[in-house]
Amino acid sequence: MNMSAVGAIYRFEMMRFFRTLMQSFLSPVLSTSLYFVVFGAAIGSRIEEVEGVSYGAFIVPGLVMLSVITQAISNAAFGIYFPKFTGTIYELLSAPVNFLEIVMGFVGAAATKALFIGVVILLTASFFVDLSIQHPVAMVLFLLLTCLSFALLGFIVGIWAGNFEQLQLVPLLIVTPLIFLGGSFYSISMLPPVWQTITLFNPVVYLISGFRWSFFGTADVPVALSLLAIAGFTLLCLGLIWWIFKTGWRIRS
Amino acid sequence: MSAILSIRDLQKTYAGGFEALKGVSLDIEEGEILALLGPNGAGKTTLISTVCGITTPSGGSVTVGGYDIITEFRGARSLIGLVPQEVNLQPFETVLNTVRFSRGLFGRPRDDAHIEKVLRTLSLWDKKDNQITTLSGGMKRRVLIAKALSHEPRVLFLDEPTAGVDVDLRKDMWDTVADLKADGVTIILTTHYIEEAEAIADRVGVITRGELLLVEEKKALMARMGRKQLEVQLNERLDSIPAGLAHLDLELAETGDALVYSYDIHAPRTGITGLLNGIAEAGLTLRDLQTRQSSLEEIFVDLVKGDAS
Repeated sequence: MNMSAVGAIYRFEMMRFFRTLMQSFLSPVLSTSLYFVVFGAAIGSRIEEVEGVSYGAFIVPGLVMLSVITQAISNAAFGIYFPKFTGTIYELLSAPVNFLEIVMGFVGAAATKALFIGVVILLTASFFVDLSIQHPVAMVLFLLLTCLSFALLGFIVGIWAGNFEQLQLVPLLIVTPLIFLGGSFYSISMLPPVWQTITLFNPVVYLISGFRWSFFGTADVPVALSLLAIAGFTLLCLGLIWWIFKTGWRIRS
Repeated sequence: MSAILSIRDLQKTYAGGFEALKGVSLDIEEGEILALLGPNGAGKTTLISTVCGITTPSGGSVTVGGYDIITEFRGARSLIGLVPQEVNLQPFETVLNTVRFSRGLFGRPRDDAHIEKVLRTLSLWDKKDNQITTLSGGMKRRVLIAKALSHEPRVLFLDEPTAGVDVDLRKDMWDTVADLKADGVTIILTTHYIEEAEAIADRVGVITRGELLLVEEKKALMARMGRKQLEVQLNERLDSIPAGLAHLDLELAETGDALVYSYDIHAPRTGITGLLNGIAEAGLTLRDLQTRQSSLEEIFVDLVKGDAS
């Protein structure tokens, strides 16, 4: 295992993050505050409680997931796409590293950034609502797995993308709708029965449900199913990346 | 001396069906400088990319320092430094960070003293905190070299290192290459500039259309392939070559006061005595004599032309 290479990639990626720390920090704080103003104050005042939790607090897990997932994807996608774009990928390909080490460096850094953003949002949210976390260990586990699995997905997106537009395509066209329709801002039980069934095909539902359970102890789907779903998703992404490096798809001719 | 790089029947066919390498075999001795010459699209870069792991070979085998590049890629790649042809750098990083990154990537522990030495040698130390994007083209090329040297490679590939580089920098690079050779580093460079190969290489290989036409000691190649020219300057001006000399391979200079005779130094008879006798018989008197050896460039052009016909 070339841990020195993993560390080099990780540090290099994190440096980019620290260079733009203010942007990285300000934008989630601002958008979280906006969500609270719009959903929490304006709409939330008309929805008293959801499943025994104030609406303002109810949306916190969904908000954290929304940002963590988009940040994990876009950071990992950009991280590996940029070397492809500038041509510096030659160095990764010619270095004594295997696919796992490259992935650990890039995905590790992207997941760290996403985790940082998630924590910032949680802290921001705690200024607006009273937050209680019933299952802190599960909460951390769900958060970490989400950061990791979506950073893996982002890594795949970055390798697949042929230009900057495509880099935005997956997050914008697929992931954001899935998150919004995945129960970030409502409980699935609030939907008509047909839609409840359809929603169960949305993988993000399992994530948000499990994450919300760790806060309030209530869930749309069984917690074990949530964990299973995210573990399965992580393995699927890992398998895809393994195949990408084995075949050299879009990176090695 | 033993071969540090051993290439056996290396083949590369790209997905589109293009055969970039048609079975190249080559041994490179430790500590030598080999220049690979060849026209654009000859397969020089594919050869380097394949050895370095950027391109997957379609057939054949390569070992670097005894390590197979596929099954023992860690051992092989740790020994190799690569300076690519394109100036591929992350624009917003600083020089120091990007060079340190390379060292870490190749599994070497942090060594600030070594990085400083490399940057100073390449006159980059003053620029170490500059963003890459603020550097001139020549400086960026130096950064590429610094990255390749950051992890102390035993084999260095330079893919057209001096393309688009001014004369000063080119001389600097030649000096750097000489220093590396003195440290025992094996260097393989591709170039369009024949004078570069002539100036620094020990051996020269010529590639065209995916095949290695020859690999030879530079001096032997020049001696073997070299045609010489003898320029005979006359005290008289001529309108045409005298009849007594017409059978020789002669050209009359435009000014009319010199004859240029081309001959093969390795032929049993060079014909120089006959030429001089003929000149005397024609009643001409000599003002000066001058011989000239053909350069590698001329040899190269001849070779590639010969292959094309």
